Amino acid sequence: MCMELQLGLAPPGSDTWSRPLLKLGLYEDINVNSKKRGFDHGYLEDEFSAASFKNYEKGLVGWPPVKTWRRKKLRCQVHNHMTAAENGCCGGRASNSTYVKVKMEGVVIARKIDISIHQSFETLTTTLMTMFDIFDENRRSFKLTYQDKEGDWLIAEDVPWR
Amino acid sequence: MHKKMAFSFPDEVLEHVFSFIQSDKDRNAVSMVCKSWYEIERWCRRKVFVGNCYAVSPRMVIRRFPEFRSIELKGKPHFADFNLVPDGWGGYVFPWIAEMAGAYPWLEEIRLKRMVVTDESLELIAKSFKNFKVLVLSSCEGFSTDGLAAIAASCKNLKELDLRDCEVDDLSAHWLSHFPETYTSLVSLNISCLGSDEVSFSALERLVGRCTNLKTLRLNRAVPLDKIANILRHAPQLVEFGTGTYTADVRPDVYSDLAGAFSSCKELKSLSGFWDVVPDYLPAIYPVCSKLTSLNLSYATIQSPDLIKLVSHCPNLQRLLVLDYIEDSGLEVLASSCKDLQELRVFPSDPFGAEPNVSLTERGLVAVSLGCPKLQSVLYFCRRMSNEALVTIARNRPNFTRFRLCIIEPKTADYLTLEPLDVGFGAIVQYCKDLRRLSLSGLLTDRVFEYIGTYAKKLEMLSVAFAGDSDLGLHHVLSGCESLRKLEIRDCPFGDKALLANAAKLETMRSLWMSSCAVSFAACKLLGQKMPRLNVEVIDERGPPDSRPENCPVDKLYIYRSIAGPRFWIEAFMRNLLGFSSFDLKNECLRHDWSGNIIWRLFKALRARLPYVSPLPELSGTPRNELIKRWKLRLLCNQSKYVGCLSCSHYTSMQLYRQELDQTIHAKVLSKLE
Repeated sequence: MCMELQLGLAPPGSDTWSRPLLKLGLYEDINVNSKKRGFDHGYLEDEFSAASFKNYEKGLVGWPPVKTWRRKKLRCQVHNHMTAAENGCCGGRASNSTYVKVKMEGVVIARKIDISIHQSFETLTTTLMTMFDIFDENRRSFKLTYQDKEGDWLIAEDVPWR
Repeated sequence: MHKKMAFSFPDEVLEHVFSFIQSDKDRNAVSMVCKSWYEIERWCRRKVFVGNCYAVSPRMVIRRFPEFRSIELKGKPHFADFNLVPDGWGGYVFPWIAEMAGAYPWLEEIRLKRMVVTDESLELIAKSFKNFKVLVLSSCEGFSTDGLAAIAASCKNLKELDLRDCEVDDLSAHWLSHFPETYTSLVSLNISCLGSDEVSFSALERLVGRCTNLKTLRLNRAVPLDKIANILRHAPQLVEFGTGTYTADVRPDVYSDLAGAFSSCKELKSLSGFWDVVPDYLPAIYPVCSKLTSLNLSYATIQSPDLIKLVSHCPNLQRLLVLDYIEDSGLEVLASSCKDLQELRVFPSDPFGAEPNVSLTERGLVAVSLGCPKLQSVLYFCRRMSNEALVTIARNRPNFTRFRLCIIEPKTADYLTLEPLDVGFGAIVQYCKDLRRLSLSGLLTDRVFEYIGTYAKKLEMLSVAFAGDSDLGLHHVLSGCESLRKLEIRDCPFGDKALLANAAKLETMRSLWMSSCAVSFAACKLLGQKMPRLNVEVIDERGPPDSRPENCPVDKLYIYRSIAGPRFWIEAFMRNLLGFSSFDLKNECLRHDWSGNIIWRLFKALRARLPYVSPLPELSGTPRNELIKRWKLRLLCNQSKYVGCLSCSHYTSMQLYRQELDQTIHAKVLSKLE
């Protein structure tokens, strides 16, 4: 596939681009691939870039840009104010670590994942899948389970996220 | 004539002159004057700063600066703070420690930011540097309290142990007791990031009591309020103090104890901590408020009236970190009480809520910019903004050096006119001629980048999200911002054209991060091929980029200049070994061909970073199994001591390589775990 991309090796600051860019319809001049039209079309119709906007509603990764540890510590405190009973990550002197060990059947090495940065089983499962290298098609054949206080293994999705 | 002058001073004189030059930039400038100055300078540089740990190799640094005492290293890109950089990306400090341990027994200071530090690294530090004095770990991870125990036990001259915002595995609270009873040199201790069910209070009190030079003490949340009074009484000389949890049943005796302890601290200038604050206990700090210059209330979930009361007691405040509970009204009070304010950070109490939970708007920021003449640095999270407010702010406060505004909802327009916020940010860059750092948010078109390219001549770091319309935006920034060092972009429609047209610019910058943009894999490859001094790294957790058409946008792109060559060999290799998400080595090493020298290059690169690699056997003609047997790598990274085995041969396909690798590794790991 022939890509007509140009590498500008002019020193930084020299505005070799000034003229072509001020023209509208810039992208019509570029013969990249029949699929790639003006940016708007090309970008949104491309199924792969659509994926990056998938999380636009609640659950954008890393947005707003509040540092992870700050979010964790704040969430623990807000929970403190709201409820007395704790889920292990919050409450007075309890450890404020919200890391949980995850092990996949057949894989020797367990991984650690931070539960507090997820807000749903969807995002948790997606992250786990990438961690353990499972492709999307196989998603259904894997089940997320957790071990409760009594040591019983239960299916995670049966319980609400909280 | 000039040559004579250069030689007319003996080296010692020049060295003495250079010793007054501390700043890194100036030192670099000095070393560029002439060859003899370069030589003299490199022998007497005592502090080395490496802004990107992959821009240069440890060996190169040691070769150039044979006698440094202090090193500062930065690892992951800034967006790692917001979970945009996947686990296993890199930033391992061990190779640096290992190289320095061999070369530098007299190293005194290590400062790290966003790096993966293991217990092994900490143990190696403790063992290797007899005069070790300062360890500052900022936003680091990968270690546990066991590593800290090693430091505590061995570093007799330790002055500073600062773990700011680190992720530490709290295995045992007793690491503090590893400081021997004879140890008294502690000047600064910051353990605010530690969890721990208990902290050994007696060990802490004893430590604080015998370290009479202690100036900075930042406790973690596990230290209860009623223990603070005792600790403060042991250390009335403290200048900076961070409380633990600031909550307890309200009891007059506890209160008066606390108030008394605070009043005995005549030197206190900085306070932080304040987790779980009970407002009734706040007045206990009033005795010290008038001297306070720095106050961090960013964890204090108290409401505006209490915050206002507190802030009004601190007329000398220069730095304030606070939650948006302070509201516009609180900021107005701040503006009238704290005329020395230089830095303000307002964090969101409910960043994911759809509706505002507090009354904090652009008004608060306008008030502070008007009322505080020395204000230069702002980080402000809010939910609405207008061009009018931004223009007013810019006019009020042209002395901003850092302006970071985060309007929580992406692409929020000017709430008054519904227009983009281009003009507002344009005013900021136009009026604030010394602006070094800028973070944009809200609805923004290419126009704002035109303003930035035109006016922001001193801008060094720019953060962009959900902004712009086309490549023109990126082009304005890359071609116009002369001082730009770091550019980080997410979710913007910037593609190949601007990047490739400004490729040379990238070598003048430290790094460029682009995620969820429109840069194609083909462009990445082209850039990698044409620019040998740039590392072009593609991070794509969907899988190998060559499983998709080349014109598909990559998920994440990190480009940085480097004289150390591509690092992907090691990190991708480590990732494969530990079963991290799939990186296709072949596709990520954009500049190497796959014939012949792969393994040799891999070995050399690895050896530069991991000193425990056994000697390389003859490559040609050696049976593969024999090579496998002879190659053992001790990989020390953030998981643990795995023994890995490097399969080597002239593989033409990466899939095959990885499969073989996986099998061998799993076997080795299993045998090690038994």
